[in-house]
Amino acid sequence: MARREPSLFSRLIVLISLVLLAGAAALTTAAWYYAREAANDAYDRLLVGAAYQMAEALNVQGGTLTVELPVSAFELLASSERDRIFYKVVDPGGRTLTGYADLVTPESDAPAMASPAVLDGRFKGVDVRMTKVGRYFSDPSVQGRVDVVVAQTTEARTALARELTLRAVALVIAMSALALGGAVFAIRYALRPIGRVGAVLRDRDPHDVTLITVSTPRELRPFVSATNEFITRLKSRMDLMQQFIADAAHQIRTPLTALKAQLQLLSRQPMEPQALQYLTRVQERVDQLSRLAGQLLSHAMVNHRAGAVPLEPVDVVEIVRHAIREAVPEALDRDVLTSLELPPVPVTIAGDAISLKEAVKNVVDNAIRHGAPTQLTLRVRQELKTVEIEVEDDGPGIPPELWPQVTERFGTPSPDGSGLGLSIAADVLAAHGGSLSFRHADENGFAVIMSLPSETGPNS
Amino acid sequence: MNGLKFPLCRPTLLCLCLLWAVVQPSAGFTQGSPTPMFPALQTEQEVLSIHAATDRPAMEPLIRDFQLLNPNTRVEFVEYVTNDLFAAANKACQDGRPLGDVLLSSGVDQLVKLANDGCARSVDSPETQTVPRWANWRDEVFGFTFEPVVFVYNREKVPVEDVPKTHLEIADLLRLKPETYQGRVGTYDIRQSGIGYLLAFNDSQQTTTTYGRLLESLGRAQAVVRCCTGEILDEIEAGRLLIGYNMLASYAYARVRAGANLGLVMPADYTLVLSRGAMLLAEASNATAGARFISYLLSARGQTLAQREAFFFGFAGEGPTGLEGAASIVRTGIARPIAISPALLAVQDDERRRRFIADWSRSLVDMATR
Repeated sequence: MARREPSLFSRLIVLISLVLLAGAAALTTAAWYYAREAANDAYDRLLVGAAYQMAEALNVQGGTLTVELPVSAFELLASSERDRIFYKVVDPGGRTLTGYADLVTPESDAPAMASPAVLDGRFKGVDVRMTKVGRYFSDPSVQGRVDVVVAQTTEARTALARELTLRAVALVIAMSALALGGAVFAIRYALRPIGRVGAVLRDRDPHDVTLITVSTPRELRPFVSATNEFITRLKSRMDLMQQFIADAAHQIRTPLTALKAQLQLLSRQPMEPQALQYLTRVQERVDQLSRLAGQLLSHAMVNHRAGAVPLEPVDVVEIVRHAIREAVPEALDRDVLTSLELPPVPVTIAGDAISLKEAVKNVVDNAIRHGAPTQLTLRVRQELKTVEIEVEDDGPGIPPELWPQVTERFGTPSPDGSGLGLSIAADVLAAHGGSLSFRHADENGFAVIMSLPSETGPNS
Repeated sequence: MNGLKFPLCRPTLLCLCLLWAVVQPSAGFTQGSPTPMFPALQTEQEVLSIHAATDRPAMEPLIRDFQLLNPNTRVEFVEYVTNDLFAAANKACQDGRPLGDVLLSSGVDQLVKLANDGCARSVDSPETQTVPRWANWRDEVFGFTFEPVVFVYNREKVPVEDVPKTHLEIADLLRLKPETYQGRVGTYDIRQSGIGYLLAFNDSQQTTTTYGRLLESLGRAQAVVRCCTGEILDEIEAGRLLIGYNMLASYAYARVRAGANLGLVMPADYTLVLSRGAMLLAEASNATAGARFISYLLSARGQTLAQREAFFFGFAGEGPTGLEGAASIVRTGIARPIAISPALLAVQDDERRRRFIADWSRSLVDMATR
């Protein structure tokens, strides 16, 4: 990702805007063209009408051609209020009878019967529309065609064309705005599944290797199926890795057990105090190693079960009893007073009993090993939406600044611990939709609280 | 219009007078008549040149008031009769040289023709927007007065029962009492006066039959034709003429204010209303001052002053009290404003004008001088 790619949204919007802009420009041009045609057409009719009226006023009186230009012809043309009017009447001999002699007679090749052509022209330095109407006389004295040429400036035409165009442009703009707004809406709607897939991927638990099942439009399916393929491969890798770790831990435990037995035998031999001291240290290390192997096995098991075993209704109280029973032998070694404060009735949640027992065991183990000089208390509490298992001891506890680290694997390597205990508990709780938290009791005491969603909770 | 029926006896003096009127091409002012100056009230910074076919006494209060607002402007005022002004302005425009900055003329058809030929420059100011639509063409030619066209009569000599109320009545009066009104009715000589031609043309457009009868009656009564309103009013005041036909009310009312015993009649069938035109020339050397002056004429201040001092009527028809039928002509729809529009080009068509004047002359002058 060297270069920031423009978003799909902005790409689409830019392209659609360009198309709309080009379309609007084309439509505006067309509108101007048609508006001018329409304006010309409307006013040209008046122009031709006025020319006909003027031609009508031609007369032969006493052998001479006379014309009495009707006021109505000018009034007709004056309906375009601001426009100037030029005209001339040319007799068959080509002499101008009246009007503007320097007005050019337009050469019209229209057939005699057709309506007169209206042409663009220039007169006195301004643009005009002009037409010519011919009238044939076959009087003995006047023979031939008398031309009436009428020209008019184009202000009213331009104003009308401009007004028509502006209205059309207003419509085009409104339509473009509507199209653009619609496009924004449509693109946002169409791109929403991408966000949905992204959210599903983002919100996944880091250990979740189940397939993505969110429904997507056809276009996104290759992307989702490629992701799922990747997840499948990842899952098989992880399974393989955990299997390997479990196998390795299991394989190591057997020689370790043998080793511990040999050490037991060896310790019964008389030996020098110095050697005895060494032997004791070796025994401690071997214990540590065997516990680590046990935790690794437990970790692998918990992780395996997290994805594979369906959650069933289990009694938390029962689980805690089992856990403490398995952990107590170690507690007894240290002469720690263990007390249980359990509700008299079963507290049922959806969970995996084996994993949960493993979690409680690890927390208790952790408390005995690092805290609890004299006392250990286990409580099970039913809260509104959660069930809390609290393990309290009277030891110094974990300083709050280390809380975020202790749930990470090997986050706090301790002299006689593996650093896996709390992380196993945290993983189990995460798999159940719960969480692990800590509390410093009022006096000399520290509690680890495991919250699990109760069966009626949203995640049950 | 049969000349044989024409009464043969007529005073020689009147005949000579008429002949003089016909022969004299322009009894009023000649082209480029002496230039009255209105010197700047303060240091002179610019000159505004007004070429006008409108009488200076009427314009003077307006120009002086304009100078109060523009104390650094010297105003040059050149007087013409309408046709001369048109000829001079047309020539100047064709040659592309300036003839002053502003033209004022009651011959609005001529101003329209000049504007149509591209000799005008548009003036766009808040004041020009207040002008009625019929008195503004292209923002180039503006009507700045409202002047009913009236009959004027001598109160002493014309008995009340004779006072004509309509165009038809004046025609009938001349026909029925030839002995009283023979040679004692005056009107414009439309060959010389552009405004006379414009008014006669509009008369002919209103009702052709009435116009025909009127023209015939005027011809029979040997109507006196003059270039200018002033001369006819002079003669009516002096009692030589009894009735003036198609007179501008503003001129006549000015006389009444000055003490003349004249009566004004707004014709009850239709009253033509002329709006004197103002136009800024395309070639104006001081166009900004010209535009200012035109805006001033159209402004509330200019209009109020004009109504009080110069032209006595406002665009809404408000007029001086005691004038028969003045205020009501707009309200009752009798007023026929001569719209400043390209339709006036028909009036200015050379051929049509030539024929119209020829017909008019045949009916009126030829018959009268026979």
